Amino acid sequence: MFDSVYAQLVGLCTGALLLTSALMVWRHTLLASIRLLSAQGLSLAALVAVIGVQENEVELLFVALLIIATKGVGLPWVLAHETEAGARAIKEAPRLNPTASLLIVTILTILSYIVMSQLIGLGTSVTSHAAPIGLAMVLIGFLLLISRRRARSQLIGFLLLDNGIATVAFLTSGGVPILLEFAVSLDVLLVVVILYVFAGRMRNKFGGTDVDQLRELHD
Amino acid sequence: MSAVTAGLLLQLTLAAVAVTIALLVAPAWRSRATGLASAALAAVGLATGLAAMTGASGTLTIPVVLPMDALTLSPDRLGGLFMAVVSAVGLIVSLFGMSSARRGPEGSRTAWAAMPVFLVGMQLVPAAADSVSFLLAWEIMTLGSTVLLLADHAARASVSSAGIWYSAMSQLSFFFILAGFAVLAGATGGTSFTAMATVEPGSFAANLAFVLFVLGFGGKAELVPLHVWVPRVLPEAPSHVSAAMSGAMVKIGVYGALVVCVRLLPEAPAWWGIMIMVLGGASALYGILQASVSSDLKVLLAYSTTENMGLVFLGLGASMLLRSYDATAAADTALVAALLLAVSHAAFKATLFLGAGAVIHATGERNLDRLGGLGRRMPWTAAAFGIGAMGAAALPITSGFVAEWMLLQSLIHGGRLNGEVVSVAASVAMPLAVAVIALTAGLALLTFVKAYGIAFLARPRSPEAADAREVPVMMRLALALGALMVLALGLLPGPISEAVLATVASSGAGAASSSADTAVAAIGISGVALPGIGAVLDPLLLTILAALVGIPVLIAIVLSAAKHPARANDLPWGGGGSRARPRMQYTATSYAEPLVRVFDDVLKPTRDVQVTHVGESRYLVERVQVEQKVTDVFETRFYRPMLNFLQRFGIVVRHVANGSIHRYLTYSFTALLIVLIVVSL
Repeated sequence: MFDSVYAQLVGLCTGALLLTSALMVWRHTLLASIRLLSAQGLSLAALVAVIGVQENEVELLFVALLIIATKGVGLPWVLAHETEAGARAIKEAPRLNPTASLLIVTILTILSYIVMSQLIGLGTSVTSHAAPIGLAMVLIGFLLLISRRRARSQLIGFLLLDNGIATVAFLTSGGVPILLEFAVSLDVLLVVVILYVFAGRMRNKFGGTDVDQLRELHD
Repeated sequence: MSAVTAGLLLQLTLAAVAVTIALLVAPAWRSRATGLASAALAAVGLATGLAAMTGASGTLTIPVVLPMDALTLSPDRLGGLFMAVVSAVGLIVSLFGMSSARRGPEGSRTAWAAMPVFLVGMQLVPAAADSVSFLLAWEIMTLGSTVLLLADHAARASVSSAGIWYSAMSQLSFFFILAGFAVLAGATGGTSFTAMATVEPGSFAANLAFVLFVLGFGGKAELVPLHVWVPRVLPEAPSHVSAAMSGAMVKIGVYGALVVCVRLLPEAPAWWGIMIMVLGGASALYGILQASVSSDLKVLLAYSTTENMGLVFLGLGASMLLRSYDATAAADTALVAALLLAVSHAAFKATLFLGAGAVIHATGERNLDRLGGLGRRMPWTAAAFGIGAMGAAALPITSGFVAEWMLLQSLIHGGRLNGEVVSVAASVAMPLAVAVIALTAGLALLTFVKAYGIAFLARPRSPEAADAREVPVMMRLALALGALMVLALGLLPGPISEAVLATVASSGAGAASSSADTAVAAIGISGVALPGIGAVLDPLLLTILAALVGIPVLIAIVLSAAKHPARANDLPWGGGGSRARPRMQYTATSYAEPLVRVFDDVLKPTRDVQVTHVGESRYLVERVQVEQKVTDVFETRFYRPMLNFLQRFGIVVRHVANGSIHRYLTYSFTALLIVLIVVSL
């Protein structure tokens, strides 16, 4: 019975992942981006849980709980912490206008489908068919890194990139061992905390986190 | 555990001990304690080297964590010879430094800690039996010498500039050597020297590796056009460090070239030999030309190093050329001559640089035009410097003479084998090489007559020179040891020639030739014979003969002089003055003036004459100031344009890397996309 729903559930989850990624490029306020990131973390957890049920692996369910804890709740909470009010006000002045960036997102998604089909073949299974979504998320994360000026918005691009890598891992090989997943999650958490503290310091010191201004120090 | 292994272990331990002493001991005792520890390190290295040179073998294997073979130190006879040479130089340099580098930046903690590092690096390069440990020891050596060079950087800006040149040229050399080893390792699949020696002779890999090695080791051995660091670095380093650099480190460059030509790639085609000969000949001529017109004592010695290394490479190239035409007796003789030249250069150039150091210690001057009359005030230094200068000018009773004599013999007789012409190339190259050596020897004589005569004879040209005092006893001891070594190698060349021959006969190219054991034979302890060529030299006997002839003549002169008491001559026409003043003497610049005119096209000197007239009269001159600068043609015509181009390129490229993180991320992103697209095509 579950088999018939399985393909649709996987499609739903990966679709949600791609949709949240595209929305992150479109929306400009920091708070909206953080919420989208949280939604994306939950979608990723759902995807892992669905795969776990299908493959009858209890371990994957634990991984799903871990993902909910870190990517769904932990990281967004750290990001939104203490700037709940401020985040609403922080508006990004992006280097690309929304229309152009959405167009690029489309091109990147198409590109990742082409690349994945050439590279590993889309295969017959449902999960490997959806694998290009992961690559597309990686590329979109990269695009965010490039197009955003503020350090915190770039952090979100970085997390999107990380989510993309995790998605590819789960879709192509059924996930990495739980210990590794645990370590990677903690790593990312640590990086985010450090960068976050760093960004806070930058804002206190220079009154803003526009990375473009950093080159003044260099010259 | 064999003696050599124990020696190598002891060297590593002593180096660590010496560094610790330098770091911990109080400043008042630092130079003495560290100098003693360095001297002990050098003495152990000397013993190990001598043992390895006479045939003892031993291996020290150092396991490493990295995924590669263990580091293997196992000096062969050739390596032992060079280890002994650099250690002997290190010994007298350490003794000298104990006294000369006592205070100031030269005696700082950092400088003294770098000294044992430099020494042990130089000792381990000849011990290395695989390319990885060779390169590691090479870098240790470079690191130590760079720190030592920079000792005085705070006080003089020219030291920093020299440091930059030295680092850049050292890294260039290292890059070429690394690339050479990489090519050989790629072609043979091993990093040990024995594995690399299996490369197919005449293959593209062998040729490419050879050219890379020549560029790399030629840079360290100061060959033209890679010598540009020499006239900056050797004069600016503290004198005992310049002595170690010129006497020992440069020999490591020669050793590298020998490893390549004798051990790794013994079957050389003729063009390799010709290439080395051309490089060596050009270096010899250019080096001695620059030395002969220089009026800075240390610059003069630095350029003279280039000249001597040029002669060594000339001998090496001649040996390779002759061997490729099967004239093995002459080839072996030329190789032995090249090695002897390297050994004797270590002895006399270390002595000369230490002598220059003593002069600087006493007067604070290294400009010959402001020295003079030091012979009477500093007899020990003058004697040692004189003996070193005789060695550098290749005069009899010194080591330089024996080596150059042997080299000339092999070149003169090398073109023919059993009365037949060996080849056209050899019969053109050999006479040309002889001509180069002849010109070089003549100019070297002139150069060192100038260096000794202007600095130590005549009357002081400055108050500093007039107030000079003899240096402390430790420096005198080091100078005396160096000078004795020059004399011993020159008067008793038998043992060292046999030992050098044994190293040639035991390794690569020499082992293949039948005549290697008999190319040079010692007669007693003092004589040398070249049976393959049919020439004999016995310096001691010659000296005794000359004395037998000369002493009666001298006695006769002295007796006749005693009969006629000396007359006091006044100046026939003094032009108003009664006696010649010190300023009327020849100076280094005026002595070299004819040479500068003759070689005007090569040296491109710039002259600046300023005449100040008295009042309104243009007939009366108050003051004339002449300034002459000889620049290095290679630097102004080759390196400067290249550096300028690189700088312009750098300014243009600065826009590409403007510090914006977005731009860097865009580069990575674009690269990623391009890779993805290319992979999926």
